[in-house]
Amino acid sequence: MADEITGTTPEQNSIPTTKVQRSAKFVKTGIKIGGNYIKHYSKKLFNPDLDKSELNEDNAADIYQSLSELKGSALKVAQMLSMDKNLLPQAYVDKFTQSQYNAPPLSGPLIVQTFRKYFGKNPDQIFDKFNIRSTNAASIGQVHKAELNGKKLAVKIQYPGVGDSISSDLKLVKPFAFRMLGMSEKELDIYMKEVEERLLEETDYELEVRRSVEFSNACANLDNVVFPNYYPELSSKRIITMDWLEGKHLKEFLATNPSQELRNQIGQALWDFYNFQQHELRAVHADPHPGNFMITPEGNLGVIDFGCIKEMPEDFYYPFFSLTSTNLLDNKEETIKAFRQLDMIHKDDTPVQIEFYYTQYKDMISLFAQPYITDTFDFSQTAFFDELYSFGERISKMPEFKQARGVKHFIYVNRTNFGLYNILHELKAKVKTDTFKPHVVLEY
Amino acid sequence: MATIESIQSAYIDHVLTEGEQPKSVYIFAKHNEMSEAEFYQFYGSFEAVEQGIWAGFATKTLAEIRAQEVWEGYTSREKALSFFYGFFELLKSSRSFAVYSIKKQPKGFTTPKVFSPLKDIFEGFADEILKEGIESTELSDRKYFSKKYKDALWIQFVFVLNFWINDNSAGFEKTDEAIEKGINVTFDLFQRTPTDNLFEYGKFLVQNGGIKDKMGF
Repeated sequence: MADEITGTTPEQNSIPTTKVQRSAKFVKTGIKIGGNYIKHYSKKLFNPDLDKSELNEDNAADIYQSLSELKGSALKVAQMLSMDKNLLPQAYVDKFTQSQYNAPPLSGPLIVQTFRKYFGKNPDQIFDKFNIRSTNAASIGQVHKAELNGKKLAVKIQYPGVGDSISSDLKLVKPFAFRMLGMSEKELDIYMKEVEERLLEETDYELEVRRSVEFSNACANLDNVVFPNYYPELSSKRIITMDWLEGKHLKEFLATNPSQELRNQIGQALWDFYNFQQHELRAVHADPHPGNFMITPEGNLGVIDFGCIKEMPEDFYYPFFSLTSTNLLDNKEETIKAFRQLDMIHKDDTPVQIEFYYTQYKDMISLFAQPYITDTFDFSQTAFFDELYSFGERISKMPEFKQARGVKHFIYVNRTNFGLYNILHELKAKVKTDTFKPHVVLEY
Repeated sequence: MATIESIQSAYIDHVLTEGEQPKSVYIFAKHNEMSEAEFYQFYGSFEAVEQGIWAGFATKTLAEIRAQEVWEGYTSREKALSFFYGFFELLKSSRSFAVYSIKKQPKGFTTPKVFSPLKDIFEGFADEILKEGIESTELSDRKYFSKKYKDALWIQFVFVLNFWINDNSAGFEKTDEAIEKGINVTFDLFQRTPTDNLFEYGKFLVQNGGIKDKMGF
């Protein structure tokens, strides 16, 4: 019976077990990518006009395939890579954006087991209703719908052993990140270490519940931003229970063709949410990928994930955000001092190098700071983003920027702000940018 | 009046405090205020007590998981996973006894006697869910091999048991991973795989392809 249908669930088809198997997975990807190049060049022999987008698409599909089979931290890296649109060709971006929405789920019995372990009860004994099939993946876990006392809840459950595999997964991702991002090894190391720290924090669900409560209280007064309630008594090291927020993800929201007014409202909420945190709390929700937000039917922005928080120490905050003020940036001497403090200019740089990096970074920052300079900013304008991307591209080709520059805090702060800019751009929102202003120091 | 439970718990208490079996049924009975005859009413030997304890873990697990609301909706794969998780969760509360009992078994390829009744229960359960799975076409019915499926599950069980004995991770999280991954791989093999299709194709070619003639044999 060759045509019989096997009655399997799509869940858990194959998650490579050991490090060796995971390595094998990556090697396989490498081989496949090699194959894609061969395919590309043999086609090109006959059709010299062929552009690289098909090749990129093939590669992205294979990388995504292998990352989603690995689950956990590797998937997280896929999500991170998809944040930096300017660093990646469009085909990679599209594939990686998928990873923000789905990954293979855990088995039902493992869900039951996790509950028994932390609460001594089955989920159906704790909740009035509990859907054993998950509704969304959360990259290091998955989300289930539940009900208790007439309230709809979202229950996030973490995959066991995620923490342990993070470090080894990152080592496996390294050669690929290396090739795809074209960074120097030293730069990549700083990056990887910072990423590893944040990722490990994300596996601590008790910490996440504490932070979620803390941040949603601190941000409670912001207009049009809503948070679910969290239930610490129904949460544990591997389980988080919170209110189920009704709403649409960004893509679905945009598909409904919302009015400019509504888009501005959501955009403003996003801007306020991020800039209030950055400038008043000095710690920021550093995971602005669209999967972490919901747009509610009332036109509010719902924030549903506080797993990744980046705290900004003063010795980073002041020099960096002061640069967004024209007053400082016009003062060359003080600007160079700030650059030095941020390790963008090294102490053994020659005068020629200092001049070079000063000019480049000044250009970069005045570009980045544009939304801060005026009172309102229209994020729909493509010109600004084109300029941003082409600047990024130009920089990435300069041999001077192959070496590590800038303190590690840039990684998440840049990711946060570029992520924010990107979402605002997709929203085509016009935003009042003077609601929460950076605190500035004019002298160093 | 002695019961199965009271004899089992007295026995567990003894072996864990003394680190060995009681010297004789007589001494054991005397210490626990029962007559030797009462003991023999339930068990013929200390080994039988230990067998009974292991078998008890399995029956309790089965009763427990079958009572869960989700049970009826589970596939065979999920039922197997559920048994493994349930069993090792239950075993946690008797880990010292389990470690004691397993460590004294001789190393070898045959199933130690102390596990025989447990194995019977396990195989009965495995048979049941595998049949269900084959009927619902979740699993692939293969000549000769389908009969071996339950042996594969037993091997998996013994493997996880040994893994758990040596697991030092907090909350035995590694054991959970070993179960999730191991059972899934095993069930993947029970399903229709590319090898089945390759085999079918080979058979087809031999019968219809005229390979022998064309290849000039």
